[in-house]
Amino acid sequence: MAKTATSAFKKSSNWVVQAILIFGVLVTIFPFVWVALMGTHSRSDIFSSPPPFYVGDRLMENYAKLLEIMPFWTVLGNSLFVSVLGTLGAVLFCSMCAYGFFAFDFRGKNIIFGIMVASMMVPPVLTLIPFFLTVKFLGILDTHFALWFPGVANAFGIFLIRQYMVTSITRDLLDAAKVDGASELRIYWSVVLPLIKPALATLAIVMFIGLWNNFLAPLIVISSPDKYVLTLALRSVQSLANSPWGAVMLGTFLSMVPLLLAFVFFSKQMMAGLTAGAVKG
Amino acid sequence: MASLELVNLSKTFGQVKVLHNLDLTVKEGEFLALVGPSGCGKSTLLRIIAGLDDASDGLVVMDGDDVSELSPRERNVAMVFQSYALYPHMTVEENIGFNLRISGLSKAEIASRVEEAAQTLDLTELLKRKPSQLSGGQRQRVAMGRALVRNPDAFLFDEPLSNLDAKLRVQMREEIKRLHKKVRTTSVYVTHDQIEAMTLADRIVIMKDGRIQQIGSPTELYREPNNAFVAGFIGSPAMNFLPGRLLFEGDDRFAVLTDGTRLAVTDERAGEIANNAAIQVGLRPEHLRVAAQGDGDHANRLAGTLDLIEPTGAQNHLKVSVCDQLLTVVDSQLVSLDIDQPVTLSIDPNQVYVFAAA
Ligand SMILES: Nc1ncnc2c1ncn2[C@@H]1O[C@H](COP(=O)(O)OP(=O)(O)OP(=O)(O)O)[C@@H](O)[C@H]1O
Ligand SMILES: [Mg+2]
Repeated sequence: MAKTATSAFKKSSNWVVQAILIFGVLVTIFPFVWVALMGTHSRSDIFSSPPPFYVGDRLMENYAKLLEIMPFWTVLGNSLFVSVLGTLGAVLFCSMCAYGFFAFDFRGKNIIFGIMVASMMVPPVLTLIPFFLTVKFLGILDTHFALWFPGVANAFGIFLIRQYMVTSITRDLLDAAKVDGASELRIYWSVVLPLIKPALATLAIVMFIGLWNNFLAPLIVISSPDKYVLTLALRSVQSLANSPWGAVMLGTFLSMVPLLLAFVFFSKQMMAGLTAGAVKG
Repeated sequence: MASLELVNLSKTFGQVKVLHNLDLTVKEGEFLALVGPSGCGKSTLLRIIAGLDDASDGLVVMDGDDVSELSPRERNVAMVFQSYALYPHMTVEENIGFNLRISGLSKAEIASRVEEAAQTLDLTELLKRKPSQLSGGQRQRVAMGRALVRNPDAFLFDEPLSNLDAKLRVQMREEIKRLHKKVRTTSVYVTHDQIEAMTLADRIVIMKDGRIQQIGSPTELYREPNNAFVAGFIGSPAMNFLPGRLLFEGDDRFAVLTDGTRLAVTDERAGEIANNAAIQVGLRPEHLRVAAQGDGDHANRLAGTLDLIEPTGAQNHLKVSVCDQLLTVVDSQLVSLDIDQPVTLSIDPNQVYVFAAA
C-alpha cells in the first residue's frame, strides 16, 4: 500500500517537474521561433497588431533584401573563420598551458597561476581600451587576426582544463608514460589530450559561442565592411532609418544556425567523454 | 640486462632528508626486494633509479656507466606501479605496445611482441579490452606485460600486489617468481610485506627512515639480524622483545629479565655488548616451546601464565604473559592447556637474540 502511494506521489511529482521543464523550454526557445517567423514577413506585417505568429510568405523577398544590404555570406564566412580559428587555437594552447601548470614544478608556479585566476575577475569592459591600444601598437587594426588570436591562451580555458586534469589524470600515469619512453610532447599528445576530451569539448563550445557572439572587439578593431563579422554587420544595418526588419530577422536567424550545429556536434562529444569517464573503474 | 649500483645516494625534499647516503649493488639478473615501513623512502628510491626524480647527491650506475643524468627513456628500465597506471583510453594491446610504438618499431614486430607477452601472462583473450573492463588481477598482469614486452635492462616494481586480495596476491607472487626465473632480468621489488620479500627475493634490503638497516638473503636476515628493527621486521609472527640486562659471569653470558629470570646467551649473539648494559631480548615465537619433562638442562626456561590460545589449524598461537608482557608462542604440538594456568617455556641458548637497547 505504502509502496503504491509513494510511487503515485513520485509519478505526480514527476509530472510537475516535467511541466516546469516544458514551460522552461518553451520560454527559452520562444525568441528563436519568433525571430524565425519574423524572417518570413514584411516590415509592415511585423509591426501590425496583433503581431503575426505564423509563417509568412515573404521569405525570398527578405533574403534578396538581406543580400542587398550586406554581403551576408562573406560576413558569415568571416564569423566562421574567426570563431573556428579562435576555438581551435584556444583548445590547443589552453590545454598546453594547463598541462604546464599541471605536470611541471617551476619557481613561482602557484603565484603565476593565482594571478592568472585573479585576472578572470577583471570585467572585460575595463580591458577594452588597453586592448585597442595594444592592437593598434601591434599594427593589426582591422584584421581578423586581432579578433581570434588574443583569446587563444585565456585564463578561463587554462583554469578549466587544469582543474579537469587534476581530477582525471594521476601523476603515476604521467610517470608511467615517461618510463615508457615518451617525450613530454608525446605524453601531452597521446596520453593527456585523449583523457581530457570532455574538458576540451566544453571549452570549445564556450569559446565558439563567445567568439561568434563577440560584438565589442570587432566594433573597435574592424573598420572595413568586407571584414565585418555577423554581429557587426547585423548591427550596422539597424542604424539605417527604415530598417528592413524582415531581412534583419532572417539574417539573425541564419546567424544562429551554425551555433546550433556546433552545439549539437560538440555536446555529443561531451556526453561521450563524460559517460566514458563515469564508467572508468 | 644490467647490474645496478647506487653510490652514496641521498635525497632531500626541501628541509627533509628522506634518503641518507645509500650504497647498494644489485647484481645482473638478481631479484632484490626493498622492504621497510611506510614512509621510509622506498618509492623515492625507486623513482630515482627510474630517473623520475633526481637524487640530491650520489650516483646511479648501470652496467658501470653513470646514468644519473639520463632521462627515464634513456635508462631502459621498466616500472610497474602500485596503481598500475594503465592508460585508460587505450586497449590492453595498445597499453602493452605503447613503448614499442614510441620506439618506432614496425607494426608487425609490435604485434608479435605484444602477442608473445600476452601469452606469457595469459592475456590473449583480453587484448581488445579497455582497462576499465578488467579485474584487479588482470590489470596487474597488463601492467606486468607493459614492462615485460620491452626487454628492459631492469624491472622496478613499486608494491605491485598491494591492491589485490590475499589469495590473488599469493597467486601473482608465484607468477612473478616464475617470470623472473624465465627472463632473469635484474629486478628491484619494493614492498612492505616481508613475506612477499622473503618468498621472491634473492636478497632483501631492509630500510628504515631512509637508511639501510641490513642487506642479505632471506635466511641471513632471519638468522642473523643486525638489530632489533630487522629482527622484528622479518619473521611471522613477529619476534617477541623483552627488556633486560646483559650479565657476564666468568666466560658465560646471561640475559637477565626484569623478573630476575636468567637466560643463557651464546658469545656470538652477545657480540660487543658490554657487561650490565641494557638490552632487548628477542625470542622468536617459533623457537619458544612449552617445556616438557624431557628437555635438557641446557635449555633456558621462562615462567609465565597462559593468557590466550589462537588456533590457526596446523598450529596454535599461544599468548603467554611473561614479565608483564605478552609473548607469542607457536605451538605445533597442539598441547592441551588451560587458560590462566602457569606454563613454562623453554628456548635454546642459540636462539636467544640480544640487541643493545635503543
Ligand atoms: N614530493 C615530495 N615532497 C616532499 N616530501 C616527499 C615527497 N615525496 C615523498 N616525500 C616524503 O619522503 C618520505 C618517503 O616517501 P616514500 O613515498 O618514498 O615512502 P615509501 O617508503 O614508498 O612509503 P609507502 O610504503 O607508504 O609507499 C615520506 O616521508 C614522504 O612524506
Ligand atoms: Mg611507496
